[in-house]
Amino acid sequence: MTMSESETPTQGTTAASGPVTLTLPPIASMVRVGRLTASSIASLSDMTIDDIDDIKIAVSEMITLLIQSGSRANVTLRFETTSGSFTIEATTPATSLDLGRNDLALATAVLDAVSDSHEVAFVDDRILMRMVKAIA
Amino acid sequence: MEEIGKNESIRVMIDEDGTVVAEGDIDLAGGPLLDTAILRLEGSKPVVIDLAAVEFIDSSGLRSLLAASRRAEGRGTTVVLRRPSSGVLRLLGITGTTEQFQIEGGQESES
Repeated sequence: MTMSESETPTQGTTAASGPVTLTLPPIASMVRVGRLTASSIASLSDMTIDDIDDIKIAVSEMITLLIQSGSRANVTLRFETTSGSFTIEATTPATSLDLGRNDLALATAVLDAVSDSHEVAFVDDRILMRMVKAIA
Repeated sequence: MEEIGKNESIRVMIDEDGTVVAEGDIDLAGGPLLDTAILRLEGSKPVVIDLAAVEFIDSSGLRSLLAASRRAEGRGTTVVLRRPSSGVLRLLGITGTTEQFQIEGGQESES
């Protein structure tokens, strides 16, 4: 597992310090690590407790889908906070993506409810996911 | 109280009354342990799962509960979710799966 911040440390919020990236091995216990990391970063913004709970659900859905659909390679996440939104981008190598799977439909229904927008795509032998949560 | 198993996400037990008790997070890591406990109790009676101490659940965890519900339906019985936490109730509401279970007690859903 690796974690990095793209700029030198500052005393400001993540909106001031730039995106954070996290690379996780594709194992089930790492879903919790991603969830804790996302909620920690989100808590540095002006998000409400309910919004942070939504972030935890969203990132859990994203990591789980990538672990289950990917080719057993690392999952990379990128968290970015701006003044108006919290964005998570996640990706992993894969050989295909079956958008008709039942578990994917359930995950999509959950992402619909907890995010303001989200998308999943299969591009250049990678699954790419992105979700945005507005900060009120 | 018999401990069925625990890992970094969840601790699953079966109490003296034959109720599955889950504590922690029901996610990709926690779901399989919950499955183990549920499968041990499946029979002609409803499976009761106490979810009061569940702090988090996602769709992978929900799939464990839904699979148990489908199996119970096949046996002509049901799955009882006892004292589901607000997070559990919210996920059931989001996914429209509340009706798949018999709910006993529980906190008010925040959704």
